[in-house]
Formats: sequence, structure tokens, C-alpha cells
Amino acid sequence: MTILTEYESKKLLSKYGIPVTKEFIAKNTKDAIQFAEQIGFPVAMKIVSKEITHKSDSGCVLLNIGGINEVEKGFLTLINNANMHVPNATLDGVLISEMVQGGIETIVGVKRDPQFGAVIMFGLGGIFVEVFKDFSLRVAPITKFDAINMIKEIKGYKILKGFRGHKEYDIDSVVDVLLSVSKISEEIDNLLELDINPLIVQEKGVVAVDARILLNDSTC
Amino acid sequence: MSLEGILEPQCVAVIGASRNKEKWGHIILKNIIKGGYSGNIYPINPKETEILGIKCYPSVLDVPDDIDLAVIVIPAPLVNKVVEECGKKGVKGLVITSAGFSEVGKEGSIREKQVMDLVKKYKMRMIGPNTLGIVNTYCSLNASLMRQGPERGKISFITQSGTLGLALMDSIINIGLGLNKVVSVGNKADIQDSDLLQFLDTDINTNTIIMYVESIKNGREFMEVAKKIKKPIIAIKSGRTKAGRKAAFSHTGSMAGSDDIYTAAFKQVGVIRAKTIEELFDVALALSTQPLPKDNKVAILTNGGGAGILAADYCEEVGLEVVNLSDNTRKRLEEILPQCASSLNPIDTVGFANYKLFKNAIEILLSEEEVSGLIVIYTHAALVDPLEIANAILDTRYTNKPIIACWIGGEDLNNAIKLLKNNNIPTYSLPESAANAMASLLTHKNYLRFKV
Repeated sequence: MTILTEYESKKLLSKYGIPVTKEFIAKNTKDAIQFAEQIGFPVAMKIVSKEITHKSDSGCVLLNIGGINEVEKGFLTLINNANMHVPNATLDGVLISEMVQGGIETIVGVKRDPQFGAVIMFGLGGIFVEVFKDFSLRVAPITKFDAINMIKEIKGYKILKGFRGHKEYDIDSVVDVLLSVSKISEEIDNLLELDINPLIVQEKGVVAVDARILLNDSTC
Repeated sequence: MSLEGILEPQCVAVIGASRNKEKWGHIILKNIIKGGYSGNIYPINPKETEILGIKCYPSVLDVPDDIDLAVIVIPAPLVNKVVEECGKKGVKGLVITSAGFSEVGKEGSIREKQVMDLVKKYKMRMIGPNTLGIVNTYCSLNASLMRQGPERGKISFITQSGTLGLALMDSIINIGLGLNKVVSVGNKADIQDSDLLQFLDTDINTNTIIMYVESIKNGREFMEVAKKIKKPIIAIKSGRTKAGRKAAFSHTGSMAGSDDIYTAAFKQVGVIRAKTIEELFDVALALSTQPLPKDNKVAILTNGGGAGILAADYCEEVGLEVVNLSDNTRKRLEEILPQCASSLNPIDTVGFANYKLFKNAIEILLSEEEVSGLIVIYTHAALVDPLEIANAILDTRYTNKPIIACWIGGEDLNNAIKLLKNNNIPTYSLPESAANAMASLLTHKNYLRFKV
């Protein structure tokens, strides 16, 4: 099985029209600073390594980096933390990416089921999915009708519709992402699992902030 | 190839028919005879000349007549040989009850494949192996281990579990649910759920399909077929495996358990999933007898306020709207209701119940555009004849709106309930079941919108 890194996963999503965070992989502090300036502060910094899959648990993610000095310091901290938590892991660099401000976290995923094939999941991010099990599923390929129903079906739909006077979030863009993910699952037949977590939904537009993909090596 | 040869056979052979009363080969033959099957029956057993008064043949090849269906009730290692004979004879379909195939491991799987090769070679169709048989009440065929066939009806039942299937049949007989065809699918080596769904969809004697599912072999194929079927399908699925047994790579992997996926797949193709066996039967009864409501607006008529409120609560819970009646409707109701009765929905006759009162109230409610479905709840009071109230419903049945009855009380009600059921008014003993049954009609109606 092959794990695609966050960077590779997002490249793939982007190819299918799913908006992703602006980002570059830096191999040294000089590049890191240059990329950060190019993207604009604040930025997020994350270790890129196929061997470190739970980045935030091992101190391999830094958020809201506000200036050049912090980028420099952060680069070294990340390398140190990675070496401490997963010794001897091969590091591919540090991902410098834009910080997405505001919006609401959702999760979009794919899983391949032995009986039904690819299944698409949607839910609100964080505790909504994990604690309240508030998610919806459909077997791929899904239609627009299915995608809309998937979003309406979760209890958290009210939040997306704009709760307590908040403006409505961009549900149409979520529908587009679900349809794109369905397309990915159909076209990449060795895709086993995919997570876009979080997909941040804003009042206008969505951004895939983190993603991971698991591929089966033998195409069957 | 069509399944008619199996499910509507003109002529049946029982291979492995036995004189020994404890053997399946005896029980099944006896059930076919006792059930009053209208076609010819040929017991097959090389060691006997006659069983249960019917001439016995050494092999199907010796039978002078054509054979549509052969029920095979012999030990697994002997099955191949008789399947080959059936093929040579030109038998159309097989029901293989023998166990000892893919359900017991590798050796059995090989054996099952050999049988399948023969079935294909001779262009036959097969139910099983490891099935408890089939029933078709329209030709009075009970080729199963069930000692008693169900009443005749329009619901057909596909069951995966053998023994539970049998137990469920007993419950069905007990509650008097009428069935048309029953198929215990066994290992599904040849005939799958999707084949049966396709067959039942065009079967003029079936209007509702119920399923007991443990697993579906080819989920995609099942979905493709189920999506096209406009007759209601209600399924109960066992095996609620926990979501994410193993530590999965992704959130999706750990959250979406196989049971959730079944729920999603069913919903996606318009299969109603019943949570309990009781619900499976309740909902099937409503769907097989009632027209679909145009929307979710219902009226509740009752002689017991408490039951009416309970029913209203359940209605709201399952997505039905206990409709606000218009002034005009309320005025019409007030003209016929007793003094302190409530013309607000749920309509409460405050204990009064007689034929005329109920008939008038039902007619008014059904005639109003704002009411799309009616739930009539009768709570038994000693002085009332429950048959009168049942007749009030039956005598007003001229509309194309669904009516669900809820009769609450003890044995006194049995005759009235029977009368209602015999006249296709689904009757339940609890308000929640009645509300749920009405809601299922709406669910199916909504499903029909995307059925292709």
C-alpha cells in the first residue's frame, strides 16, 4: 500500500478542481522564508514525511507563523520534533502553506467497502464526526441529488445554513467537492481511503486544508 | 434465464424423498402434498417404490413427464451426480437444501463450484445450496421445511437465514400476514437477491417485497437492480458490526462501518430499512394494502384523547404533520361530534364511539383536501361493540387516501381486528406502530421520485 503525503494528496485533489491551500515544500530555512513571504503571513508549517502520518500528535505542525524569525525557528523545531517522535524517519522537507482564516471545518472522505465499492462520507469536522457520529454516507458514484441530501442529512446542517444569525456557508461548493471526490473514487480504482480533513467551508468557497490518501499497490 | 421454472413450477420432483418421518426428504415431500400443490409430484429414491402414497422413481431420468423444479434433499457429496442427471433430464430449476457447501469452508466451496459448473452447463437455475426451500401460495406449493404455509397475500419474502427464516414464517403465520412467494436463498451460489428482485418486480401476484439480509454478495449489482424496482422493498439487515474494527488509516475508514454503508446504500436506492422484525412486518402490511399519501399531512381520529396525543407525538417524530384543520372542516366536524369533543387534530370524540359518529367523522376528514392520510384509533370501552367501529371504517372506503387503524385493547377486539385486516385495513395495537406505518408510505412515495 502506498500513502500519499499531504502535499501529494492535495496536488491530486487540485487536479480534480478541489481548491487546496497555497503551499510549497521547503528543503531549507532560506526556501522556507521565501515561500512564506510569497504566500503571505501568517502561514502554517508541517513536516513532510511518508513515515509520519499523525503530524499534529507528534509536534510536527506549527500554526499561525507570523514572521521571518519565527519561520526560521519553526523550521528547526519541526525537524527536532520529527526526529524525537519518529527517529530515523526520512524527511522530505517542511510544507509552508497559507493559513485559512475563519470558516467551518468539515470532513469529506472515501472508503472502499468489499461489498459496495467506493463509499463517500461527509460530516462536520472535529468532535461532530468523532463523538456524535454525525456523518452521512453514499455509495459512489453519487449524483448531485445524493450530494445535496448527504449535506442535508447530518444534524449539523443547521450550522452550515447559518446558525444564530451567522451567514450561510457555501453549501454549493461542498456539493462540488463531493461530486469531485466521487469522480476521483471512480477514476482511481486503486484508491483505498481518502480523507479531506478538514475541508474548510467559508461563506464563499471551500479549501482543503489537510488531506491524506491511501492507495493499493496492485490495481485490481 | 427466467426463474419461473423454479418459482412457478408445473411439476416438481423431490430427490431424496424418504419414508423416514424425521428426514428432510420426508418432511418436504409431505409439506408439498399437504400444502395442496396443484401440479404433479415425483418422489425420487432408488430404494423405494412408493412414498406417502405416490409412485417413487429411482432417478429423474426415469420420470416419464417433464420436470420444472427438482428439490434436492440428499447429502452434499451425492449432489453433483443428481444435478448432472437433472441437467440431462432438462429440469429447469433446482432448490438444493443440502448443507456442506461454501458455508463449511474450502472443501465445500470447491463442491459448490462444481455444482455451479453443472448448473451453467445445462442452463438450469439454482436456489441454494443450504436453503430451507421455497413457497408459492398461488400454486399452493410449500417446498420447504415449514410445516404450515402462510396465508395467501401480495407480499413476497426473500430470506437469507434458514432457521431464523423459519421462525419468522411462524410469526408471519401467527399475525396473519399474507404472503405470495417465500424464498430461502441459502448460499446464493447462483440465484442472488438481485435476480429475485427482478423476478418479483414483474410478478403480478407480488406488490411488496420484504427481505431478511445477512450480507449482499455484490453490492453494486444489488443497488443497480433495487433502484429500478418501484414496488416497495423493506429489508431487515443483521450483523451490526462495529464501525472501524481496526485502527484505520483515515477518519472515513474508521467511522464508516459496514452497517452504516448498508443503511446508506439502501437509502440511496429506495429500500426501506426496518430496525426490528416487528417493524418489517408492520410496514409491509401498510405498503401492501394502502395507497400512497400525496404529502405528509395526516389527521388522527380517536375516542381516547391520550392515545391521540401519543399518536400525534409519534407522527411528528417520524416526519408526519398532524395537520391544522381549516375552519370549514372543523365546523363540519363540530356538527356531528358530541358536545365537548375536540375538533382540533387529533380529533377526540371524548370517549364516545359508535358506527354513525365514526363513519361521519371519517367521511368528513377523508373528503377534505387538507388531509392526505388518516389514522383511526379506537381505545376499547366496555360498552362499545368494536365491530361497529371497524365497519364504520370499511363502509367509508371510497377514497384513494391511506387509512391506518390502531385498535387498543384486549381479546375483545380480536374479531374486529380480523375483519379490518381481511379487508386490507392495516391494524396495529400501538400508536407508534400506526404512525410508523403511515410514515413508511410517505418514505416509499419519496423514494419513487428517484426510482428510474
